[in-house]
Amino acid sequence: MLASSSQSSLEEPAFLADAVSRRFGEVQALNKVEFSLRPGEIHALVGENGAGKSTLAKIIAGGLKPDRASMSLFGQPYAPESRRDGASSGVAYVRQQLSLVRGLTVAENLQLGRPGASPVFNLKAAIVEIDHWCRELSMEVPAESLVDDLPLALRQQAEILTAVAWGARLLILDEPSSSLGPRETAALISLCHRLRDEGTPIIYISHRLPELTELADRLTVLRQGEVVVGGADVSEADLHEIAEMMVGDISLLEVDRPNREYGETRLTVDSVAVHTSRGVGLENVSFQVRSGEVLGVVGVAGNGQNTLAETLTGQSQCVEGQVIVDGVEIAGKPRDAISARVAHLYEDRSVGLAAEMSVADNALARRVRDRDFSRYGVRLLSRIRSHATLLADRFQVRPPDPTSKAGSLSGGNQQKLMAARELENNPAVLVAHGPTKGLDPEASKVMRDRCFGVAEAGGAVVVISADLEEIIELADRVIVLSSGKIVDRFDIADMTAARLGTAMAGLSSNE
Amino acid sequence: MSRLAEATFWSATFAGGLRLATPLIFASIGETFAQRSGVLNIGLEGYMIVGALASLYVADPTLTPIGFVAGGLAGLLLSALMVLFSIRLRANQVVVGFGLTILGVGITGFIFRLTTSVGGVDRQVPLPGKINIPVLSDIPWFGRALFLHSWYTWFAVGLVPVAWWISSRTIFGLQVRSVGEDPDAASARGIDVIKVRTHATLISGLLGGFGGAALMLGAVGRFQPMVTANRGFIALIVLIMASWKIWGAALGAFVFGFFEALSINLNNVFVDMPTELLEAIPFVVALAILTVGVRWSRMPPALGTNYEAIK
Repeated sequence: MLASSSQSSLEEPAFLADAVSRRFGEVQALNKVEFSLRPGEIHALVGENGAGKSTLAKIIAGGLKPDRASMSLFGQPYAPESRRDGASSGVAYVRQQLSLVRGLTVAENLQLGRPGASPVFNLKAAIVEIDHWCRELSMEVPAESLVDDLPLALRQQAEILTAVAWGARLLILDEPSSSLGPRETAALISLCHRLRDEGTPIIYISHRLPELTELADRLTVLRQGEVVVGGADVSEADLHEIAEMMVGDISLLEVDRPNREYGETRLTVDSVAVHTSRGVGLENVSFQVRSGEVLGVVGVAGNGQNTLAETLTGQSQCVEGQVIVDGVEIAGKPRDAISARVAHLYEDRSVGLAAEMSVADNALARRVRDRDFSRYGVRLLSRIRSHATLLADRFQVRPPDPTSKAGSLSGGNQQKLMAARELENNPAVLVAHGPTKGLDPEASKVMRDRCFGVAEAGGAVVVISADLEEIIELADRVIVLSSGKIVDRFDIADMTAARLGTAMAGLSSNE
Repeated sequence: MSRLAEATFWSATFAGGLRLATPLIFASIGETFAQRSGVLNIGLEGYMIVGALASLYVADPTLTPIGFVAGGLAGLLLSALMVLFSIRLRANQVVVGFGLTILGVGITGFIFRLTTSVGGVDRQVPLPGKINIPVLSDIPWFGRALFLHSWYTWFAVGLVPVAWWISSRTIFGLQVRSVGEDPDAASARGIDVIKVRTHATLISGLLGGFGGAALMLGAVGRFQPMVTANRGFIALIVLIMASWKIWGAALGAFVFGFFEALSINLNNVFVDMPTELLEAIPFVVALAILTVGVRWSRMPPALGTNYEAIK
């Protein structure tokens, strides 16, 4: 079944997209993108977060409709109405978030929703089919295990197997290696090669350049919704140049700030290792931040940023090393962090605020047992409200109504409310994770000024952000995270697109 | 005391356990379908009691097979309200389920009062004869306990492998489990979540009604308000004990029935023992099983959640 499709004329592309455009509100996610996929090739689609890779993939798979596009698949005009529509045309989309039903076995998943399957589930036939594909593609997927019980790499194989068994003629793999170790990634690469050699072209989305040299035939680089490199031959491309292209020209942005005096060290992170089941952990992370200093943490999202924020604020426990604030260890207890005056601007406002509770209760949050706001366990409502009004006024939260629900505020005002609460007590350390994510320019400016204000008041600030402009504006020094490790560190004045791109793409091997 | 050492005591208890378990087997197998599809179907007690009343009134006094079918249909009808309110209109499943139980108990009590004159004779059906499997039932010790039962019990026992086969060996069964595991993933594979949950809930209505009918026609013979005595809720406990598996649900139903029969028979042996204490035995056993078994019990992740398709 696989081999026959490679017989189709070689000059005709397997997939061709012309002038694909898609807007999300204000953001032009894709702008007249051209993309072609030859039969029997692995075509890597690379770019930073928000470059438009996944948007393009969803459009090709049928899960998202473009504003404008003309596409063809194996020479036929192609305009899928839905993912299912795309799947029945032979386009299989394997995402980071897997689409297998976790409580069913692999064999059951193979038959679930399969077009044209008989109403009786034939377990034996399903096992035979899985064994067949396992042999064909040198995989080892246990047919009768629950998907839930499989390690991630095997789940992914099971998903690819299902797609191929259902007759996929084109595979889209979206960041397939992002949670895999080196050995599993090597296995995935050879699986991709086998699939390609059997005639199934693959669109491989990644931000990790090193593995692409081995994996892909051609690559296309997207930046801010536009193609900056279209279908370059991987064997001839200079990866360092590609990395630079991904980041774009950052030298245009000026680094301009008066030299400041830094005080004593307030935050020390000493060879910290964290293991977590909810994403990438940390490995041997060390840095210090002095009073008045802003440290920028950059990296492609999902490389340990969340774990770092949680560790600094006592929500994750180190298995090795320690986090020290003003001489006191934060030993994986949020209470330690609170009493050491570590403030946390959460990346996800739905975690940092209780949307269903009032502005006043959210402004209070950690101080709920404070003697100022309760007597003998009875809450002093008028004090709680006037406290909220005071904070709302200081941080210009609109509307400044303490009784309205936090969730009814706009995103910018929610962020201000969270900042008002966190920055109230002149924090020793501020962990600002994506502090201006999704905010308009004016609100962003206010928020950056506030973060900067903490440093000016003598605090140590850690800004974790995917927004390089923000890092340049705020940070004095930068560390780059990749797969939970610090891969590079430099003063902001030394930051160049090449160095940053190299580090973010995992090409550098310092440290 | 010495009677506890007699084989006939345990043989009779075993047989009585299977008889008492029959309604529970129907109810808990039906409930397995509903809960595996993600519908927390607390109205089961309601389906059982309307099934019980309908079966008695239609069967009156000798058309028992038709009465049995009527019981199932009555349960099905009540479960259609669950489908309408909870699955289609997405009302809270627990609220609607409790509402349906209260409705079922109330409406059956009301109809019973309306149709029973004071001092008159209750509607009654004769209890069914036992179907004797020759030779096998003559085996000493356990022959009678295993092979001498009414056709309700045979039906319930025969239903178990059929239900298992449907659940694990048909695409419908896969669909039911997939929408209770991960409705979004199932939907992405083109499965109509609402439709599958509707069918699963109607199955539990039908089988819940059968359970009520089996209780009425096979074991009790005459109606009284709240005659189902919380068996619908016991079926919910059985499901947790069974980790939402068909065979486990049948076994759990039997365990309940067995200890219920044991408490009745012990009552005849230890006449001085307070009845209430003996009646607690099945629940103490269930509590013990749940305490130990909760470690491996795996709840369908989407259980109790309403599904709304992503637009």
